[in-house]
Amino acid sequence: MNSRLVVRPNLCIGCRTCELACSFTHSADGKPGRSRIFMLDGGHEKLWVTVTCLQCDDPACVKSCLVGALRRNEQTGAIELNQETCVKCMACVAACPFGCAILDHTHDRVVKCDLCGGDPACARFCPTKALDYRPIAQAAKKAG
Amino acid sequence: MATVTIQVNGRAVRAEKGEMLLAVLRREKIDIPATCNHEAVEAFGACRLCTVEITRDEWKGWKNYVTSCLYPVEAGLIVRTHSDTVIELRRTLLDLQLARHPRTPLIQQMAAEYGVLKTSYEEAPDGDDCILCALCTRVCDAMGFRAISTVGRGHGKRVAPPLDQPPPDCVGCLACAQICPTGFITYKEFGAGREIWGKQFQMVTCTRCGAPTITREFADNLAARREIPREYFDVCDACHRAELAGTMGRIAQWNREEAAR
Amino acid sequence: MKITSPAQLSRLQTDLAAQDKKLGKKVMICCGPGCLANGATKLVQAFRSELEKKRIRDFRVEALKETGCHGFCEKGPLVVIEPQGTFYTRVTPADVPEIIEQSIRGNQTVERLLYRDQATGEPKTTYHEIDFYRKQTRIALRNLGKIDQYSIDEYIRVGGYQALAKVLTTMTPDQVITEVKASGLRGRGGAGFHTGRKWESCATADDWPHYVVCNGDEGDPGAFMDRSIMEGDPHSVLEGMIICAFAVKSKDGYIYVREEYPLAVQNLQRAITQARAYGLLGEGILGTEFSFDIKISRGAGAFVCGESSALMKSVAGEVGEPRAKYVRSVLKGLYDKPTVLNNVESYANIPVIIAKGGAWLAAIGTPKSTGTKAFSLVGKVRNTGLIEVPMGTTLREIIYGIGGGILHDRPFKAVQTGGPSGGCLPADKLDLPVDFDTLTDAYSMMGSGGMIVMDERTCVVDVAKYFLHFLVEESCGKCTPCREGLFQLHELANRISDGRGTEADLALMEKLSENIIIGSLCGLGKSGPNPFVSTIRYFREEYLAHIRDHKCPAGVCTALIRYDIVAEKCDGCMACIHACAVNAITGRKGKVHVINQDICTKCGACMAVCRRDAVEVA
Repeated sequence: MNSRLVVRPNLCIGCRTCELACSFTHSADGKPGRSRIFMLDGGHEKLWVTVTCLQCDDPACVKSCLVGALRRNEQTGAIELNQETCVKCMACVAACPFGCAILDHTHDRVVKCDLCGGDPACARFCPTKALDYRPIAQAAKKAG
Repeated sequence: MATVTIQVNGRAVRAEKGEMLLAVLRREKIDIPATCNHEAVEAFGACRLCTVEITRDEWKGWKNYVTSCLYPVEAGLIVRTHSDTVIELRRTLLDLQLARHPRTPLIQQMAAEYGVLKTSYEEAPDGDDCILCALCTRVCDAMGFRAISTVGRGHGKRVAPPLDQPPPDCVGCLACAQICPTGFITYKEFGAGREIWGKQFQMVTCTRCGAPTITREFADNLAARREIPREYFDVCDACHRAELAGTMGRIAQWNREEAAR
Repeated sequence: MKITSPAQLSRLQTDLAAQDKKLGKKVMICCGPGCLANGATKLVQAFRSELEKKRIRDFRVEALKETGCHGFCEKGPLVVIEPQGTFYTRVTPADVPEIIEQSIRGNQTVERLLYRDQATGEPKTTYHEIDFYRKQTRIALRNLGKIDQYSIDEYIRVGGYQALAKVLTTMTPDQVITEVKASGLRGRGGAGFHTGRKWESCATADDWPHYVVCNGDEGDPGAFMDRSIMEGDPHSVLEGMIICAFAVKSKDGYIYVREEYPLAVQNLQRAITQARAYGLLGEGILGTEFSFDIKISRGAGAFVCGESSALMKSVAGEVGEPRAKYVRSVLKGLYDKPTVLNNVESYANIPVIIAKGGAWLAAIGTPKSTGTKAFSLVGKVRNTGLIEVPMGTTLREIIYGIGGGILHDRPFKAVQTGGPSGGCLPADKLDLPVDFDTLTDAYSMMGSGGMIVMDERTCVVDVAKYFLHFLVEESCGKCTPCREGLFQLHELANRISDGRGTEADLALMEKLSENIIIGSLCGLGKSGPNPFVSTIRYFREEYLAHIRDHKCPAGVCTALIRYDIVAEKCDGCMACIHACAVNAITGRKGKVHVINQDICTKCGACMAVCRRDAVEVA
């Protein structure tokens, strides 16, 4: 995989456009509560943090899935959840140490960030580039 | 993997050699009913609804009827998914199911789609919702618990835990109830507890907010079998996100302060 | 004492044959399933104790042989004196002293125990003169009745394991397969697949290990061919399996025996232990590099476990449910590995094919169905029993020539072949030569060899009901068309038998049958509707009689018949009153008796005991 989603909370203005973009991308009835990216309080004044799946190198969710519904997409690097295989046992929801797999009550299915197949909507719509999807070399450089 | 060309309803279609025919048909967006099929478990061939008509040039007109979920494609296969014989077969199968499960919405709906509003046979007076698709027992096997099984033979076949007692191997994951297409398998949830198959379970409750997550047995099993730290299961997903937000927030704040200096 | 070379085996055979010759007269007591049920064990004890007491000159206890099924079960318990071939029927322990005096010490025959020819009433001294035996060609059943069934030495004496020696020391696996292919042998379990081709597919499969399995489940009601071979000549099965294992390069074999055959399990296990002791099973067979061993796997009372894929799951300790066979079990069988599964009778043929050559067997029978077939001939026929005839023999020759015709000379109605999966053939099919294809073309099938003869007192609707009920009970329940379809088919047949059926029901049953046949997962379901389909084809009028006229012409379906006493014929003997289990008959001695229709259960006991033929069924 060549790119990573980079999160810079200091650029975040708390507009929740990322949540809307995510919801609308994954279902016709966009509801902020069904988003796979979560805008949360950063614990300091005017500080917001967008939390989403870290696409771990050693993913607890993949290990927890007993039917093999979670797999890494080698192109995008994202861990994808196959809805046809998922049996909604909630093992991944419970196992993820970052709480990034959730139960979408509206559609009665477990969902998680899949980087939109390689063009994450949250990054595309973020007005401040607090969320940015970039090639890795660049990502490492910018962060440092 | 080698690619082959087959014919489906008169059109040429490409597929991988050895791939199951049903997957190919679904990819072509052809509507094939199949109640016992699910990606989480291996194909079973029990409901027979996914049956299609196949032939080959060298068969000189002889046709075979196979369940597409279990039939591996090969070059030269000629498939018809909705021939008269196939439709008639599906209609009969659904008619038979309706006789046994007259009040099950899924069966009523599927039978109606094939023109059967009332069964041609005698309705079972005590028909329940279990259509014996065995998805529940198969997913339980796939997940490694093997807590329930089909029991008995023929018309008396049913799904049950060993000796009709609370199953020792069940961890209360509810995969069986979730995968059941008719809602026959039920369970009870009450606060920090759950009951299924007559067995009681205690839920793991979040150490931060008290919300229940999964059963203790399931969490213990996953931690042990899959080498996931058991502590991961002690906090719910919302609180996990809050923790991550807190960590990221501290880093961001430190960055701010550094930049200000 | 292990036998480590063909030469050693031959020497042993020669010695045993010589010892046998010295025995002079031999007493062969049939200990096949039928005769055992009829008291053969007591007969054996009686012979032993009498011979101990009598001390006949030149007669030793080794000359007393407990053999496998002679075949003429109707006339059992059977005792044969060799080498004369004196054939005694219906022998009881009370007859034993006389047999010993007359036929063993002396050279006389005990007239009253001889078989009497059906037509002439003339007694036949030896079995060579009896049509029942003369018209048979016993290949799979060759040793039944000729050797003691508990002894490996007896098997070796008549040439047993010579074929194995030939295979291991002078043939390659390919050559063995060529010979079996040349014989044209087709699976005797019923499917009729070419055995040689099956072995070839397994031998060339590049997935290891390979397994050899014997199907001893024999679930068809009324069939006991395989049972007789497993009990009466177990070594022939073992030898066949070992030869197969050599040909397909297998090290492990299983014999799956149905739970209801404990004697077969015992006799097979004894044979396996004996073969191991002689080095004919296990490591380094007959002193060669080839190793193979056999385990017995027991069934648990399920007919469906006779289906090959269900059988293999059962052997592996899983629930016996069949799987779709788009990938054949010869490639993915036991434990998903290449497996040869053949029937008991198929394996029993193998040693003969090797010894005499495939061409020898191919010359018997018909071009497409070579060799012979064992049948269990039962039902309303005079001579019931176990027979073996060349393929191509007509039904008429079997039923009348060997079977002696219908009991009480009643008209022939139908013969049911192939067990529950087969069908009924009417009188105009009597001249059909029996082989795999002709029976299938006539909408029945050969199956594993069950042959049930029916007369006019058999109701085909009742027969269909019986077999459908059996299949409904035995269906594994996995797939909808079999589980639900056969269930509904049976319910409808019941309605017709009860006189509540309609012609619309018949049409529904015919459509349903078509769909069960197309839709079912395995052979049980696919052939499940056959009892109905074959009877409606040839006996439609009988179904219509039940529906339109509310009559059962054969006088069987209880809802449609009544038993009545014909006043003019009744002599008031009270036999029927005593016979009636529900006290439905009234009348005093010397006065005409009357059956109360409200109580009568139509069991037919009164008719059976009446000496004046005064009871009628209508």
